[in-house]
Amino acid sequence: MFIKRIHYYLNLWLLMSKNSFSVWLTQRRQILIFLSGKLLRFGFFLAFLYFLVKGSDNLAGYSVNQTVFFFLTFNVVDILGQFLFREVYRFRPLIVSGDFDLVLTKPMNALFRVLMGGADVIDLITIPPLFVAVYYVGRLLAPSPAQIIYYFFLILNGLIIAMAFHIAVLSLGIITLEVDHTIMIYRDLTNMGRFPIEIYKQPLKGFLTYLVPVGVMISLPAKAMMGLISPTGILASFALGSVMFILSLRFWNFALTKYTSASS
Amino acid sequence: MKKYLSVFKISFQGEFVYKLNFIMWRARNVLQIFLVFFLWDAVFSQPNRVIFGYDRSKILTYVFGLLIVRAFVLSARAVEVAGEISRGDLSNYLLKPVNYFRYWFTRDISSKALNLAFATIEVVVLYYVLKPPFFIQTNPTILLSFLASIILAVFIFFVLLFMTSTVPFWMPEIAWGAQFLVVTIVVEFLSGALFPIDVLPVTIQNILYLTPFPYLIFFPLQVYLGKIEGLLIVKGLLISFCWAIALRSLLKIVWEKGLRVYQAHGR
Repeated sequence: MFIKRIHYYLNLWLLMSKNSFSVWLTQRRQILIFLSGKLLRFGFFLAFLYFLVKGSDNLAGYSVNQTVFFFLTFNVVDILGQFLFREVYRFRPLIVSGDFDLVLTKPMNALFRVLMGGADVIDLITIPPLFVAVYYVGRLLAPSPAQIIYYFFLILNGLIIAMAFHIAVLSLGIITLEVDHTIMIYRDLTNMGRFPIEIYKQPLKGFLTYLVPVGVMISLPAKAMMGLISPTGILASFALGSVMFILSLRFWNFALTKYTSASS
Repeated sequence: MKKYLSVFKISFQGEFVYKLNFIMWRARNVLQIFLVFFLWDAVFSQPNRVIFGYDRSKILTYVFGLLIVRAFVLSARAVEVAGEISRGDLSNYLLKPVNYFRYWFTRDISSKALNLAFATIEVVVLYYVLKPPFFIQTNPTILLSFLASIILAVFIFFVLLFMTSTVPFWMPEIAWGAQFLVVTIVVEFLSGALFPIDVLPVTIQNILYLTPFPYLIFFPLQVYLGKIEGLLIVKGLLISFCWAIALRSLLKIVWEKGLRVYQAHGR
């Protein structure tokens, strides 16, 4: 039964992603411009980071390769998150217009539809070269097989936390009708994970570790690859990811009870 | 002049219509400053360290200066021009007895005034929270040069933004895309709004100095910090001035060509 359900939603996701890509492919010039912009931003930031750490010997004790690996790990979580959860950015019009009613009446989990209903083709294009860069720089850190496995599971955990945040943004959107700025503030906060969390001072460091756990989402996987994390730390981060995911689902269920269907 | 004063007043009041939007926008600016501040704070963790020609007080002053200079130079209402062209709303203005450029420049100034006021308050609050060493420039000549460089930067950014906004004359569907590429990416990185350009190798710096971008943020802050003096300030101001004139002339040509192909799509 469970396998059948997974298969059903996987097919739905493939269908919705295909539709989303078809829409984008009618705007080829837009894709080209946004893709160029994203690649330029990535290239500029990488160059800056390289020259900065090279000129100053290290950043909070991390070498050039390690700092670049933090940045690449940030991009893995950020881009995969945007690729999977892009539909969140289109949620507000549904709520404001009351068209969310149409989602609620369909034979599909409404959260699944508004969270994962529109995969982003531009992010999909950037994922393969990013993985190649992670592989290349990751190899320079000479990790053990165990460290590589920890890295993959912690990235997965980071994505679960990212999903929890996106669900919270959707829930807040139902209650307050505000989505755009909330999601951008979430992204600004995660942007702080471009650098090792050690550069921040208290209370910001505590905030980024426990409240908006950018450290767990981004810094921890990178540190696991460098062999700087204990098994207890890894278990604690999985526990945090699970708790955040459960809390976000509860918040979503609560938010649904506040939906007024106004304007529909 | 009177009508532009009215535009200024209305636009200024308009900024308060969407209060939450404005507060969120300022909150995002502060978050970005946190990122840059703590990055440089970590690099200059040893108090007497000098890297890339900066000591701790100068680099942290650069970070705080970013908040003020960005608020004044890069905040603009003219980002809406591209959308107006692609939706055909430009027609409304062409029929009115207003100069379209002056209209948007006035709206930009009202936005800048509000952003500058908030940025100043934020700098004061952040100063007391973060307690950084601060470099205060007291030389009146340098302060005047800083002011002149800011005025030129405002003008260059206005013209650059308008140039980017003319893209929808030919390709209405990429109004936002062109701005994303030029304003959000290229200007953000090459103007020194994220990091000082002198972090980069000298060859790259020399190439960048040939473009208008460093004169938006980096050059004014270098003048304030006293890293550029005497004839180099004059040279920089002259280059800024030349860019302002050249871009203004180019905009005039592009705008006239754009108006010839303008079809008021959507009207």
